[in-house]
Amino acid sequence: MKQPFLIVLIFLSLRGKGQELFAVTEPASNIATGSIGFRVDHLIMNEINSSKINYHLIPEIIVGVSKKLMIQGNVFFSNRTTKFKAEGGSVYAKYRFLSNDAMQRHFRMAAFGRISRNNSDIHQEEINMYGHNSGIEVGLVATQLLRKVALSSSVSVLKAVDNGNNNKYLYGSKNSNAVNYTFSVGKLMLPKEYKDYRQTNINLMAEFLTQVNTGSGKYYMDIAPAVQMIFNSQSRIDIGYRAELSSTLLRTAPNGFFIRLEYNFFNVFK
Amino acid sequence: MKKIVLLIAMAVSVTMNAQVTRVSLQASGLTCSMCSNSINKALKTLDFVQEVDADVKTYTFEISFKPNAYVDFDMIKKKVENAGFSVVSFEATIVFNNVHVTNNQPVTIEDKTFLFVNINDQSLDGVKKIKVLDKGFVSPKEYKRNALPVSPPRIYYATI
Repeated sequence: MKQPFLIVLIFLSLRGKGQELFAVTEPASNIATGSIGFRVDHLIMNEINSSKINYHLIPEIIVGVSKKLMIQGNVFFSNRTTKFKAEGGSVYAKYRFLSNDAMQRHFRMAAFGRISRNNSDIHQEEINMYGHNSGIEVGLVATQLLRKVALSSSVSVLKAVDNGNNNKYLYGSKNSNAVNYTFSVGKLMLPKEYKDYRQTNINLMAEFLTQVNTGSGKYYMDIAPAVQMIFNSQSRIDIGYRAELSSTLLRTAPNGFFIRLEYNFFNVFK
Repeated sequence: MKKIVLLIAMAVSVTMNAQVTRVSLQASGLTCSMCSNSINKALKTLDFVQEVDADVKTYTFEISFKPNAYVDFDMIKKKVENAGFSVVSFEATIVFNNVHVTNNQPVTIEDKTFLFVNINDQSLDGVKKIKVLDKGFVSPKEYKRNALPVSPPRIYYATI
C-alpha cells in the first residue's frame, strides 16, 4: 500500500500543468463536436497460476456528437479461451452536464453509461464491462483541471447478466452488482512551455481503480500508472501497467501491461 | 438608370462604413495542445474565415477573414464551445469610416448593431479594436460584474 501513495506524492510534488486524457478511465470532458477518434487498446494480462498471457485487443471508435454528448463503440477480441477471436462489444455514452471554465482550468461533471455484450465464459467474480461481462454500467465523473495537473474521480454501478453463448453468470444474482470507484491524477511533464502544435506532449498519470461487490462485499483495488505521449496534437500513445494492490474477489488476470493507440480526426462532420 | 446607380452607390457607402478585419479570441478551460488544436481546426471550418493563427501558449486565436465576407461572431463563439471550451475574451479589429458612437445608443456598423457601453461619445475613424461583452464572449465572472441586461438578438454589447 505504500507504493501508490509514494507515487501520488511524487506527482503532487512536481510543478506544472495537467492532463486528463487518462489511460484507463474517462474524464468528464468529451472530444470536440464533429470529431471522430479511432483507438486501439491492447491489454496484455498475466493469468494467475499459469504462464498464459491473456491478450485483449479492443478497437474503438469515438464520436463527438455534440458539445455535451460523446458516444463510443468497440469490439472485444481476446485469446483467453482456445483461440484469438471476437467475443463481444460495447457502446458507451457520456453526457457532460456541468462545465465551469476559467483560464487554464476547469471543473466538469458528466454522466456516463456502458452496455456490454460478451460471449465468453464467465471465469471471475470481478465484474468487468470492458471485455469480460455482459451487462450495464452507469455512473458519474467529476474532473478538475488545474494548469498542468488534472484530477478526476468517478463512481459507477454495474449490473452483470449472463454472457452470450449460454455462459451463465456463476456467482448468483445477489452478487451480480458492484460499485466501481476511481481516482485518477495526470500531469503534463513536457513541454515545459507550449510553442506549437507539433511539440510532443508527455504526460504521467496514475489511476486507482476499486470495485466493491454489493452482494458479497468482496473488493479489489488496483493501481495503473501510465506514461502518455501526444504527437502533433492529434494522436496519442499510452503505455501503462495495471497492478492489483489488494483483492478479496476471485480474479484470473489482474496484472498486466496496456497500450493505447489513438488518432483523432477533427471536424469530420458538423 | 443614373438614379439606380446612385442609389446602389449610396447603399454601398452606407453598408461599407466599417469592416471587421480580424478577431482575437482567448479560450478558457484547457491546457493541453490537443484541446487547443481542436479549437484551431474548428475555427478553420468557418467559410468566412481566411486564416487562424493560434498562440498555443496563451490560448489565443487570431482570426482573419475573407474580404467582404459576413463575419458571424456567434458562429465563432459556437465553434469554440462545440470543441468543448469557452471564450473569455473576444476583440474585433474594425476599420471604421467616420462612425459616430454614443454611449448606450445602438449603432449599426456594417452588418451588425452594437450597443457601446462605458465609452465617451466619439467618432471612430480608421483601425480600432472593440471588445464584445455579451454572454459567452467574456468570462462568466466578467459578465456578472458588467451586469448588462440581456441584449436583443443581433445586438452586441461592446466597449472600446
